[in-house]
Amino acid sequence: MDKQMQARLEALLETVQKPSRYTGGEVNEIKKDWAGKTTCCFAFPDTYEVAMSHLGMKVLYESINAQEDLLCERVMMPWTDMIEGLKEQGIPLYSLESRRALSAFDMVGFTLQYEMSYTNILKMLELGGIALHNKDRDENAPFVIAGGPCAFNPEPLAPFIDAFLLGDGEHATNEMLRAIGAGRKAGKNRAAILRDLAQIEGVYVPDLYEATYHEDGRLAAFTPLDKSAPLPVKKRIELDLNEAPFPTSIPVPYTQAVHDRIVLEIMRGCTRGCRFCQAGMLYRPVRERSPEQLFALAEQLVAATGYEEMSLSSLSTGDYSQLLELIKGLNERFCDQRVSLSLPSLRIDNQLQEALVDTAQVKKSGLTLAPEAGTQRLRDVINKGVTEEDLLRTVSEAFASGWNNVKLYFMIGLPYETDEDLLGIADLARKVVNCYYAIPKGQRARGLKVVVSASTFVPKPMTPFQWAAQDTLEEIRRKQALLRSALNIKGVTFNWHDPETSFLEACFARGDRRLAKVLYRAYELGCLLDGWNEHFKYDAWMQAFTDTGLDPAFYANRERDKDELMPWDLADIGVTKKYLWRENERARNAEVTPDCRLGCEGCGLTRFEGVCRG
Amino acid sequence: MKMLVVFEKMGAHRFLGHLDLQRAMQRALRRSGLPVTYSQGFNPHLQLSFAAPLSVGIQGEREIMEVPLSETISEADFLAKLNDTLPQNMKAKAAVLQEDKVAPAMARMAAATYVLRPDEHFEQLMAAVPGFLSQERIPFMKRGKAGIREEDLRPLIYNLMAKGDTLVTVLATSSKGTARADLLFTSLCEFAGIAPPRCLITRTALLDERFVPLEGA
Repeated sequence: MDKQMQARLEALLETVQKPSRYTGGEVNEIKKDWAGKTTCCFAFPDTYEVAMSHLGMKVLYESINAQEDLLCERVMMPWTDMIEGLKEQGIPLYSLESRRALSAFDMVGFTLQYEMSYTNILKMLELGGIALHNKDRDENAPFVIAGGPCAFNPEPLAPFIDAFLLGDGEHATNEMLRAIGAGRKAGKNRAAILRDLAQIEGVYVPDLYEATYHEDGRLAAFTPLDKSAPLPVKKRIELDLNEAPFPTSIPVPYTQAVHDRIVLEIMRGCTRGCRFCQAGMLYRPVRERSPEQLFALAEQLVAATGYEEMSLSSLSTGDYSQLLELIKGLNERFCDQRVSLSLPSLRIDNQLQEALVDTAQVKKSGLTLAPEAGTQRLRDVINKGVTEEDLLRTVSEAFASGWNNVKLYFMIGLPYETDEDLLGIADLARKVVNCYYAIPKGQRARGLKVVVSASTFVPKPMTPFQWAAQDTLEEIRRKQALLRSALNIKGVTFNWHDPETSFLEACFARGDRRLAKVLYRAYELGCLLDGWNEHFKYDAWMQAFTDTGLDPAFYANRERDKDELMPWDLADIGVTKKYLWRENERARNAEVTPDCRLGCEGCGLTRFEGVCRG
Repeated sequence: MKMLVVFEKMGAHRFLGHLDLQRAMQRALRRSGLPVTYSQGFNPHLQLSFAAPLSVGIQGEREIMEVPLSETISEADFLAKLNDTLPQNMKAKAAVLQEDKVAPAMARMAAATYVLRPDEHFEQLMAAVPGFLSQERIPFMKRGKAGIREEDLRPLIYNLMAKGDTLVTVLATSSKGTARADLLFTSLCEFAGIAPPRCLITRTALLDERFVPLEGA
């Protein structure tokens, strides 16, 4: 950025909300010299406050920058006032560290955390001076890469992204950067470098494949156009988390991030086999970090950041094999330093009391439980192995040791759900309230607060429910109304959301390549920051479907046949389609599948050498 | 004992709101390992006290906070350890050890000095100063708890003069009345009959009622 532009930027920053989102300069920011390095900008397609809560960005930021030949900077989605200002002032979207335009990097890597951030990706490319469609990018343009959970169904973004990474990125990202750097040094053209990228395990280069469709819109065939293009694309796995890089010094934002604390990833993967859960299928096998390593990482992070809070991250913290030892060890080490420990999303079927008592020494936050469904039958359908007895015992123990704040998470619109199951949610909430009043007055904390949240179920690809139809908007609204009246209970608050966002999520989660046209049209119609209620333009999205001649119900509300070719069948995540179908059949019969640590259930992961013993 | 700390809040740090600054300082003190006092309870936090919050967009050259200590430490050690961990443009410039009984900086504060550097129209603004100051009343609208009401800026301006290509002013900053430097600037522009140009404002000193810097002469 030249001096004049720098001055215009300074003046612009004085006029926008929360300018520290656009200045960088945080404690622990890494600024490297550009000479001779292959450069990457990690792009988070949502605002700074959301981005700085994301652990994956911090992992890659530090691990890429630890390499002498590589460099990684950051960029996030600007808020609307900044977008307008950048355009008016003719300033391209720039990285926080060196304030270079996105177009100046060798690689720009987006993380796909949720479908509703896709329009932001297009906007960031536009503002950063990069052609939106990969076919329009010239030899000097950055390679636009995407990873993260939504990359496992990459198809709706296929025309915009040069290469996707499916799976763990700790080592694969460095390999991709080096392939780009070496290719450019050797004078290879873009197409040749893309073919090189396709050789890296876990990388999917969409332009090397072709999709054809039946007349009714279903996918007919998916074929590689080049013999260098693998099919299926095997996901990338970091086998040993203790060997995988983890940050020891993370940038500390000035403005408050959504999750403004140290996050320790204690474990990756989950073997519970909840049938609605995509992460549970995507991130197998289960891998743990050792308590010793976590203690060491935590010590370094506390010293480097000054954070006052720490949380543990995993899909199922209660399943960590040495959880009590870990929590006690962390408390012992950090109690005197006034670092509090918060434990999110604990499953409720573990022996928790000891751990709960321990956390109470430092900080008393609310108890959050996710029964997901209101009756035992429906919990068996979704394979959420939690019983009412477990749940009520947990809340009773919590109330007895001083808690008064319980959050209960449910989904509505689950496959095979009946009104009886919905009324079961109210029934369960009432029983939780009764548990509180069962504790004598002097022994319980005052002011009971039970919050029941019901989200709308989105069938996700690569789960046993990938064949299922999502409930229509009308049906979801009817169910919400039913719950609203049933949950009119003293001490209970009911939270729900308009289902339109979930409807669009369902379209894109299981979308094919043709949906890219809808995305592009919606972007043209001004859709942006769709994850933010105040910016979500449902009518414009519906207009985009109409204009492109595609039917959202085809994607969201259609039940698929067993053998239908799915757009995401291009990826091999380890878990097979056969296994997923078997689980779908069991769901229909409300049959439970036990945790596979008790015995192999044949999900298919053993096909990957050295990954799972079975 | 407590430590009175003089620090800067320059450059891009002028964009930090007061809460952001408090958090940044708390975390810096935690990183430094200095012997500071925490509050009791489940959410222990450092009890920092800032002499006067600075509006977003205004730089500070000698801002002041007070840090309660759990044990005595030399001023030099304190300064060195804190500066090891503070980011650029937020460095501590002085530390003064004080008895707990010394009145808080916030209570002693009576005025502050500001330097205003407008991008353009400097000559017109300089020429307007004498006339501006000779007004009996300079009304401005103030938003308070009881809604918007008119107040007089004139008695809150202790001094206003040109110096080089800047304007230097001393403004009242106390519980009895506070004048904002950006407001003074827009009033002056209005008086001079020009649209306010962009203007970089820097607070350069926090003063007590004798117009002596709070950290001592």
